[in-house]
Amino acid sequence: MSDIKIKSKNLNVYYGDKQALFDVNLELNEKEVTALIGPSGCGKSTFIRCINRMNDVIDICKVEGNIEIDGIEVNDKELDVVSLRERVGMVFQKPNPFPKSIYDNISYGPKIHGKGETKSELDEIVERSLKKAALWEEVKDRLNEPGTGLSGGQQQRLCIARAISVNPEVILMDEPCSALDPIATAKIEELIDELKKTYTIVIVTHSMAQAVRVSQKTGFFHLGKLIEVGKTEKIFKNPDNKMTQDYITGRFG
Amino acid sequence: MSNEHTVKSYEEELQFLIDSVIKMGSLTESQLIDSMDAVIKVDKDSIDKIIKSDDEINKFRSKIDTQIMTLLVKRAPMAIDLRETISSLKISQDLERIGDLAKSNAKKVKPLPLDLPEELLSNLKRLGELVIKQLSDVLDSYVNKNFDKAKEVWEKDEQVDDLTYIAMESVIDFLSKDKKNLDFSTHLIFATKNLERAGDHITNIAESICYLIKGEYLKGSRPKGKVIQQ
Repeated sequence: MSDIKIKSKNLNVYYGDKQALFDVNLELNEKEVTALIGPSGCGKSTFIRCINRMNDVIDICKVEGNIEIDGIEVNDKELDVVSLRERVGMVFQKPNPFPKSIYDNISYGPKIHGKGETKSELDEIVERSLKKAALWEEVKDRLNEPGTGLSGGQQQRLCIARAISVNPEVILMDEPCSALDPIATAKIEELIDELKKTYTIVIVTHSMAQAVRVSQKTGFFHLGKLIEVGKTEKIFKNPDNKMTQDYITGRFG
Repeated sequence: MSNEHTVKSYEEELQFLIDSVIKMGSLTESQLIDSMDAVIKVDKDSIDKIIKSDDEINKFRSKIDTQIMTLLVKRAPMAIDLRETISSLKISQDLERIGDLAKSNAKKVKPLPLDLPEELLSNLKRLGELVIKQLSDVLDSYVNKNFDKAKEVWEKDEQVDDLTYIAMESVIDFLSKDKKNLDFSTHLIFATKNLERAGDHITNIAESICYLIKGEYLKGSRPKGKVIQQ
């Protein structure tokens, strides 16, 4: 059994008057992939955005309850959000490289976090990150070309490389493959499998098959509540909750 | 099953698969009844019909295979649907084997003399009736998704083992009285053994049904009756 990396306790989130999460208690294991599934608007993205305080940028959003990484409270107002986001990287649904060169896309993060002092240090980080994101071989001869010129799948791997360039501990992925074709998706999934050896990964996905393929643990959200969480294999073969079963078998009215 | 699928055609495909297994089950049941009848009555005229109807069962099996493959690629079934699909595959395999065993028994009627003593056949008859009842019960439990009934069948296979032992003994006893009985007695021994094996396939089906319903395999090993010397 792995160690717990992230733990939420009675987590409630409100967007103005509307409550988006209700008493979510969820534990995420270190160096494991946890998939969060559920219909649109069920709160799964809201949940992962609590992990790196992305909800801070939404004025009307209010977060109550606890969420801890390694026992340290994320919601602590004193906590330095910049260093939190250094520890918790994020990859979004649509690849969003900076309108800069491939090299700059990767080196930007380490630079602002003071991680690459010299050009050779940065070169090394760029190469290592791109290699980890399985993109190096495809782009090593054109590092100065714009990142936006890459294919969708390559752009997404560039974003993953960018996320890991600052050496985070956790990577949040919000539907990272929904804009990609099956081959690019397969490459990302293969990459997730590799990355979990180093990082704790949380992935939000609408593809059940993807959740089965990439994750060890799965949580099912519905209307802001965590309905069921357990080993992925158990959730998809024999879930305990009828609502989970109805959702994953396509019986949701 | 719970609510219906949002996609209606998925619902229909799954139901069609279940219906196919039920139809295949009832064909197999008739096949087993007919072949048992042929053995007990030494009815040589019915052999061809039984052999032919086994082809029907085999065709059903291929049809079910195709339906399952289509379902798997089209719907990627999950949870109860996945278990339903996989159970259909396993149950249809066992039904096909039961059909084969029934056919094999029908073929054994050919060399039997018409004047077999009744006491020789009576134990075989009892065994046949029990196996037919087991098949009928297990199919009922499939139709009604009745876990307890499926488990009961699984447990009752012990009785099939015991009756097999008794039936074997009476054939061997008969054989030992006069060596000229050797030829057809061998056929009766095989027929008895075939019924016992059909019973094993029925317990496999019961196990598949229990897994289908609860999502976990029955714990422990099945109660077993007297072991027949091979």
